[in-house]
Amino acid sequence: MSQKEELGKGIKRRTFLKISGAAVAVAALAGGCAPEEPEEPVEVDPDEEVERVEPVPLAEGSWLPSGCAGCTSWCAKEVYVVDGRAIKVRANARSMVHRGGSCPRSHMALQQVYDPDRVKVPMKRTNPNKGRNEDPGFVPITWDEAAETIAEKLMELREANETHKFLLMRGRYTQLNQILYGRMPAILGSPNNISHSSICAEAEKFGPMYTEGYWNYRDYDIEKTKYVLVWGCDPISSNRQVSHYLNAWGDLLDRAEVAVVDPRLSATASKANEWLPVKPGEDAALALALAHVILAEDLWSREFVGDFQDGTNRFVAGQTVEEDTFNEAHTLGVVKWWNMELKDRTPEWAEEVTSIRAEQIKRVATRLGENAPNVIVWLGGGPAMQVRGGYAAMAVHALNGLLGSVDNEGGSIRGASIPHASVPSSGDFIDEISAEGAGKQKIDQRGYKEFPAMASGNPGSGVVTNRVADGILDEDPYDIKVAFAYWNNFNFSCPEPDRWNQAMAKVPFFVHSVTHASEMTRFADIVLPSTHHGFEQWGYLGQKGNGYTHCWLARPIIDRVWDCKNPETEVVWLIAEKLADRGFSKLLDFCKAITDPETGAEPQNGMEFSEYAIKHRLQPIWDPNAYVSGDRFDGWEDFKASGVWNSDKYQYKTLWDDFGTVSGKFEFYSETLKKALETHAGNHNASVDEILETCKYLARGEYAFIPHYEEPYLWGEVEEYPLVLVDYKSRLNREGRSANCSWYYEIKDIDPGDDKWEDVAKINPADARELGIEDGDRVQLSSPVGQIECKIKLWEGVPPGTISKTFGQGHWAYGRLAAQDFAQAAARGANNNDILPADYERLSGSSAFYAVTRVKIEKV
Amino acid sequence: MPNYVMVIDLHRCTGCGACIIGCKNENNTPEGVFWAHHVYETTGTFPDVKYTYMPTLCNHCDNAPCIDVCPVDPKALFKVEGGMTLHSVEKCIGCRVCENACPYGVIYFNEEEPHGFWRDTSVLIEGVTASPQEVVERVGGTVIPYYNPDRETTYEGIRPANKVEKCTFCDHRLVYGLQPYCNEVCPSGARFLGDLDDPNSDVSRLLDQYPYKRPQEELGTEPRVYYIREYNPKPK
Repeated sequence: MSQKEELGKGIKRRTFLKISGAAVAVAALAGGCAPEEPEEPVEVDPDEEVERVEPVPLAEGSWLPSGCAGCTSWCAKEVYVVDGRAIKVRANARSMVHRGGSCPRSHMALQQVYDPDRVKVPMKRTNPNKGRNEDPGFVPITWDEAAETIAEKLMELREANETHKFLLMRGRYTQLNQILYGRMPAILGSPNNISHSSICAEAEKFGPMYTEGYWNYRDYDIEKTKYVLVWGCDPISSNRQVSHYLNAWGDLLDRAEVAVVDPRLSATASKANEWLPVKPGEDAALALALAHVILAEDLWSREFVGDFQDGTNRFVAGQTVEEDTFNEAHTLGVVKWWNMELKDRTPEWAEEVTSIRAEQIKRVATRLGENAPNVIVWLGGGPAMQVRGGYAAMAVHALNGLLGSVDNEGGSIRGASIPHASVPSSGDFIDEISAEGAGKQKIDQRGYKEFPAMASGNPGSGVVTNRVADGILDEDPYDIKVAFAYWNNFNFSCPEPDRWNQAMAKVPFFVHSVTHASEMTRFADIVLPSTHHGFEQWGYLGQKGNGYTHCWLARPIIDRVWDCKNPETEVVWLIAEKLADRGFSKLLDFCKAITDPETGAEPQNGMEFSEYAIKHRLQPIWDPNAYVSGDRFDGWEDFKASGVWNSDKYQYKTLWDDFGTVSGKFEFYSETLKKALETHAGNHNASVDEILETCKYLARGEYAFIPHYEEPYLWGEVEEYPLVLVDYKSRLNREGRSANCSWYYEIKDIDPGDDKWEDVAKINPADARELGIEDGDRVQLSSPVGQIECKIKLWEGVPPGTISKTFGQGHWAYGRLAAQDFAQAAARGANNNDILPADYERLSGSSAFYAVTRVKIEKV
Repeated sequence: MPNYVMVIDLHRCTGCGACIIGCKNENNTPEGVFWAHHVYETTGTFPDVKYTYMPTLCNHCDNAPCIDVCPVDPKALFKVEGGMTLHSVEKCIGCRVCENACPYGVIYFNEEEPHGFWRDTSVLIEGVTASPQEVVERVGGTVIPYYNPDRETTYEGIRPANKVEKCTFCDHRLVYGLQPYCNEVCPSGARFLGDLDDPNSDVSRLLDQYPYKRPQEELGTEPRVYYIREYNPKPK
């Protein structure tokens, strides 16, 4: 329904009359300009009916459904389109995940799609030299020339029997990525489809994976909860489902109690009942002390964990417990965990380590226990994405196990699956050359002894995104000759990005499909202008929140601003056609196998291919004959008009009898982790102890299988580098992609402690006095791996001993606002990644962003 | 005629800034001009430190200092039915007296032709990226590609240089029974505009339910923007 039609429904129309002194003048608002002054004010009786002039109608337009992939919240949206122009963005309120809530950064999509610095036509490099300071000399070319060149390079790989030297890198994506990322590399004969996931938060998934067998992010049942302990994330600002939490936070605070663990005063900490400013890297100590109190003070869930046979609590600090005195219910190893680790992790011990007062630890543990099981221990990336963060993630999430809040009302819950169909498997479209190439080791070194990357319990199955740069540079396992990347910018978004500058300079032929000429684009041989996901292309994404999972559909709703194509479908089609021209038709055969589910028609071009592919994948949602679950639709047009599907509401306690772990239980002693680590050790003829040592962990023996304390692994000695860097994400980040939007800078002070049009590093005034630094000083921040320059802000929201800075700025490319000087590759602000070491939580493959380095400050 | 007031529930406010961006979107305001804005403060010392946030906008005062001081006749700032304080670009002489008289700092002056960014004809990469002006020519819109034409139904869509501009409570939307856009885009349900004379309106209900504050009430300006509850939850 158009806005005008909505307005017409039962709304009383009014004009506003100008008031002159006490009198009311009859002056209707005239259209197109300011109110007109009446020639002679006429006094009227307020009760008397006066003739009113209808106001000028608002613009006639339509709210069209779409979606937002500006961050991983993946909200369903509607876009107001007037005369083919997008002018507003709002939530698609049909989503049960976020209902009417739409976060602040969603509106910036308008400034992205109409950004003048978007790449408007395909272009090629004319300067063969590649480097940050080499002008690529880009010149426009046709799509045909671009596709011909790409196909030629791919055919050269086939002819040389080295198809594995093709690398596909995916950044943000829609679920149509199954074509470009999921199938194309395999059909071409490469194992190298590399996602960005391990610079996102893979280590966070490690916690639930090795306790409850769930390699995923959780949903949190905040509508039913009584107590929330947010840990190392900022849900009303930058973590998942931001629109939902913005929407629900006020009611949550009315109904429940909220505490926040974070080494800085986050936006969420400012909207919480209490703040626990944990010392960076000491999250596990705090979690273990909370667990200690929960057990020692009789606060655990009898229903979920079980009880002593005689009902007498034997969890006494410092004392071990006989395992057979305890009847465990839905968990495994609580007594073993107590005996090996928890019995000595008293709040007093933790106070020394974490800087959190023992009394506060006891209070929070008590409040958790009193409100259990309707409590949430909300694990974020903070405690997990540290070099030794895997066990911290387990320790934090294990609290949900002790409190019985897992898969329970008001607790930590999961999402539903989206009932989508797969595209045809690559198996039917692979020849001998492809099969051989696709079987090689991946370029990210996953599965190497020092990179177990154990996603979903399987060693070598997770991605080690940032390691790709080293793989390319060291030619380990081999060199990369042709790379294709889309919707990513690893030369900005990965720690130690200069490695990526060197790596991409080394790749002989690189194609980048992007909306903007980013840092990574600087190294491209061919640049393909990409459509914007929210306005110009087909795509869909699903996400969980509020006890539901939704799936939204985006489609072309405005005229494409420039000559762009959707990399996930249209570009694949184009390359497939050119490969077929050269005698390799497998990719085109695959594309043509995806037909229109309604008519059976084969796609004839890239646009048809896009539409058929999405109809195919979502058929179980829109086709009543293929219905699986959740919302029902009458057909494709009906679903298109709605734009969002919602799952059925989450059902509690369906997992308690079998969590899908090795033991089927919620594991405090992780048989699942034991199996994974032993498999990995076996792959390398090594012991688990050797693997842990290789992966920078201190634990040995059975400690490898329980959540335990590890001293943080920090780069830099405290004597030289006195402050621990606390990196975090701006609430205005559309990941790294909103840095060319003026609204970003105009309200950058919306991040507590930050300033407009600046990129500040914040330190505590007490540290500043000691270091001789003043508010506003320009400084160089150095870590053992690099330096950045920025402005210092003194702020009490930062604990002494730390320095806190948002990620998001520091682009030396991307556009006229993002960079200080695009032509000179000079950055505006500073990229935290330049001082973050390329280190890892290796068991998950995740990059370490938190509690990973110390820094020093020098005035410049 | 309704007696419009706005109520902002600071307990529900999450300090996210959607109102600020939404306002810029709705009213085509240029860079640096904020009809909807904020004030914030960090108090105390670590670890007993507090960050407090308050959204702000024109208070549409009943005793509006901006109207009092406006030197032109008839005045360029004036009250309309409903209680809003509106501004006439046509009558405004750009003397900025109102801007100085406003105790809340919510009147803005355009020193330059607004939206210079979008009038720029420079390109970053010749032949493959556009100039801002080229985008507007291609996409349409007035000066800015995502220009909202609704604004021009009661006020200049984009106000010119050497004039002031300010919040109108989105009078162009109110006439259709729509909330001001800052309220509509608030994801936290923290903002309400309604008729104080209607006992069943949201604003009446909230002002009955909670104690309220108005900004610098002691000045006697009689602001029409009311704040209820506190931004920071209390320790329990």
